[in-house]
Amino acid sequence: MSELSVVGKALVRTDGLRKATAQVTYGVDFKLPGMLYGKLLRSPYPHARIISIDTSQAEALPGVKAVVTGKDSPEGLFGSRINDQPPLAREKVRYIGEPVAAVAAVNEATAEKALGLIRVEYEEITPVFDPKEAMRPGAPIIHADLGKYQASPIFCHPVPGTNIMNYMKIRHGNVEMGFAQADFIFEDTFTTPAQHHCCLEPHAAVGQVGLDGKATVWTSTQGPYKVRTESASALSMPPSRVRVIATQVGGGFGAKGRAKLEPHCVLLSRKSGRPVKIVLTRHEVFTATSTRHPSVIRIKTGVKSDGTILAREVEVILDTGAYSESGEIVCWEIGQGAAGPYQIPNVKVDAYAVYTNKVPAGPMRGFGWPQIMWASESQIDIIAHKLGLDPLEVRLRNALEEGSVSATGEVMHSVGLKECLREAAAAIGWDDQRPPNRGRGIACLTKMSVPFLPSSAFVKINEDGRVGLLTSAVDIGQGSDTVLAQICAEDLGVGLSDIEVAVPDTDTTPPDMGVIASRITFHVGNAVRLAAADARQQVLALAADMLEASPEDLLLADGKVFVRGSPDRALSLAQVSTAAFFQKGGPILGRGSFLDEDVVPTDPDTGQSPKPCPYWKYGATAVEVEVDPETGVIKVLKLASAHDCGRAINPLLLNGQIEGGALTGLAYALWEEVVFDGGRITNPSFMEYRIPSTVEAPNISPIIVEAEHHAGPFGAKGAGEASTIGVAAAVGNALFDAVKVRIKDLPLTWEKVLAALEKKADDDRKEA
Amino acid sequence: MGWRGVRLQSQHLDIAPNTVGFGHTPVLPAHNGYIPVALRGPMTHALCLTVNGEALEFSVEPHLTLLDLIRDHVELTGCRRGCDSGYCGACTVLLNGKAVHSCSVLAVAADGAHVLTVEGLVRDGRLHPVQQAFIEHGAIQCGYCTPGMILSSVALLKENPQPSEPEVRAYLSGNLCRCTGYVRIVQAVLAAAESMREERA
Repeated sequence: MSELSVVGKALVRTDGLRKATAQVTYGVDFKLPGMLYGKLLRSPYPHARIISIDTSQAEALPGVKAVVTGKDSPEGLFGSRINDQPPLAREKVRYIGEPVAAVAAVNEATAEKALGLIRVEYEEITPVFDPKEAMRPGAPIIHADLGKYQASPIFCHPVPGTNIMNYMKIRHGNVEMGFAQADFIFEDTFTTPAQHHCCLEPHAAVGQVGLDGKATVWTSTQGPYKVRTESASALSMPPSRVRVIATQVGGGFGAKGRAKLEPHCVLLSRKSGRPVKIVLTRHEVFTATSTRHPSVIRIKTGVKSDGTILAREVEVILDTGAYSESGEIVCWEIGQGAAGPYQIPNVKVDAYAVYTNKVPAGPMRGFGWPQIMWASESQIDIIAHKLGLDPLEVRLRNALEEGSVSATGEVMHSVGLKECLREAAAAIGWDDQRPPNRGRGIACLTKMSVPFLPSSAFVKINEDGRVGLLTSAVDIGQGSDTVLAQICAEDLGVGLSDIEVAVPDTDTTPPDMGVIASRITFHVGNAVRLAAADARQQVLALAADMLEASPEDLLLADGKVFVRGSPDRALSLAQVSTAAFFQKGGPILGRGSFLDEDVVPTDPDTGQSPKPCPYWKYGATAVEVEVDPETGVIKVLKLASAHDCGRAINPLLLNGQIEGGALTGLAYALWEEVVFDGGRITNPSFMEYRIPSTVEAPNISPIIVEAEHHAGPFGAKGAGEASTIGVAAAVGNALFDAVKVRIKDLPLTWEKVLAALEKKADDDRKEA
Repeated sequence: MGWRGVRLQSQHLDIAPNTVGFGHTPVLPAHNGYIPVALRGPMTHALCLTVNGEALEFSVEPHLTLLDLIRDHVELTGCRRGCDSGYCGACTVLLNGKAVHSCSVLAVAADGAHVLTVEGLVRDGRLHPVQQAFIEHGAIQCGYCTPGMILSSVALLKENPQPSEPEVRAYLSGNLCRCTGYVRIVQAVLAAAESMREERA
């Protein structure tokens, strides 16, 4: 590959100027003439039948223009891979906060007042909140129609007649034999809480339906096409009759990947004949939008005395709440990764996503992997300490490398794990002597990419030689507009500032399955390369005519086409493009479509596949902590986060992704927990649910390791989620190193640390 | 957690005495020459406010927040609604030079004050050094917290032109960011302090 001029450079983001000066329009800012304001009436019960809804008083309130209930969308259901959710509850409600009715009025205050005038008669049904209880025979059934829901057969194996929304398994080798050969067997159970995304911009959308029935939605979303599909499904409309246009997005992290308010805006607009805007309050964001899945994870591992892992058996129970959201695929991924990024000959995994009467859990940065890596990497540490081995060495001994066979039967490629481990350890001074109450911890991480999500791109060469790039990838802050423009600029021999990136709009920008699963650089990046190559070929063919040369002898660089070896025989891209516009063939348009066709669906009985996903990311987190034995407070002194994301297209933006994700991971380790009392969330504000500020956040050292992937654009993989994943275990392991207590349920609050220290002192006294 | 200082408006408000008295004639808001329906009615107060150097007059209901006034009536969306409860800092503006959470200030309490929003930072087409540093150091991701973060940083550097890293971190603790991990934000503020010192020298 010749030297790259745009890709691989630490360039500042292309939208930085607009964002620093607030010349951007977020979902909460968007307005249309004649716009009404919508509010949602939400269920006060976790599980209840709806007997009747009387909206007459609300409709009579001056200023109210429309009231809708489940009767206004009597059929459609939506979901990510299992369609189990109505936009407004029909026969029953399944969680506190579920939308039951919606009002559009001339202002928010009137809409709010109208909500209080809607009379809903409920009959309570016994709820179930604990996923283990929900799995037991005789538990209240939350979805009687589970077997009838439309579901993706590749990823979903629901168990009808139960609350098990998805069940996935891995069978690899023979775990019984592996345990029989082991010198030591370890068995531990770990738990994790719900975590909230806490996007600073609340969810917001505006819907407008014309008399022709076509719906247009402007929304703060990570996935315009995903919102289109789900809204159309919820409203029983053809997808192409719903136009979704992305606004600027003030944080996503998974919370805005799917339809949320859009169907309600459409229903209200259809009924009122006017555009309708809904903005969630912060309280609603906390109580009625999805969380990270709480989990209970039991791991049994058999090892030889030298630390070699022979067998691993894992059971994962995910609390998916009242609807699937993306719980089915979180379950599928968590099962795929449960063995950890290690070479283990015998693996058995059973992973369940279970309905409960709580707000749905859904996709959140890391997608199941923070949970499983917390459990898996904590236990690796337990094993190392028990065997008297260096935790770093145990990991290096078992870690996957290029050519290793994974627990799902794949021969692995592009594996920078060992280098990440070594670099992260070195960055915190792994072997340094430490004073009392200080400790160091390390944890591996890996994450797969989600398969079968297509992407596409259009490239147009404007008459001035500047390039338009059209994709449906939304820049939610991760910097994809910049990275995709860099890829496009590199392939067309122009500068970054020559690329204009279009606003995602399902009527004009080509299909893409959304900013999820760290997939944009890889998937959309590949589509952009194909589109750019198509445009480039057209440019060269026309330029060859104009220069009377053969296309093979032409080069494209610095905005010019020139004949190899004679740079004076050259045309600017603008000259070629103008000629195309007005003399030859018409405007130059390139197109590219990308699908990971080489992926093989996993076997439903064994979870095995020679290639279950397009690529895997790897990384390692190392931390040094100081524990105050008087208060139980863990202070993080150093945090190094090393990542193999393939080639770094833009190291500046990649470092920003690593740092931001690492802090979310640290918050998961130490502080954050959505607290439930039954089905009710008891800490629904930034006062009670504290996210870290500048004073709690440590300095973070990002480290980039580049194990290039043969199928990635310029060897790139993805980056968005990885650094969130391994932090919790690294901190828990450092806690043990510092004060010799092991806590198995997140978060590692000072209360738990103090209790564990007191118990340890008690135990030590008894032993003495 | 729990040791973070939440910014209270009482610590920062330095507001001119209320100049509205009996006999004061309610006036049309200068901005767009139009009184929104929501602002009409018997319980309104006349209010003068200088926003980004422009003197404006309003007639507002007593419960209207400064955030609502700036967003909905002056239509400056760089002042962001995040939590409506004084915790996230997305709505930070400078009120007579002090950083405040505008969601926690009643509009009537700001009568006579000077308000600076991020839209007012650009002078003669030139970015403020803090804005420039945020762009160059990768301190911006989704951009939602950015205006508030920039304005708090501007207030900090006015009070303390040579802050240490812990001082920057302490001062910005009322502005939450979920994207960046704060590393580059802190770097940007320190770099801006440096470039402003050089400019003065």
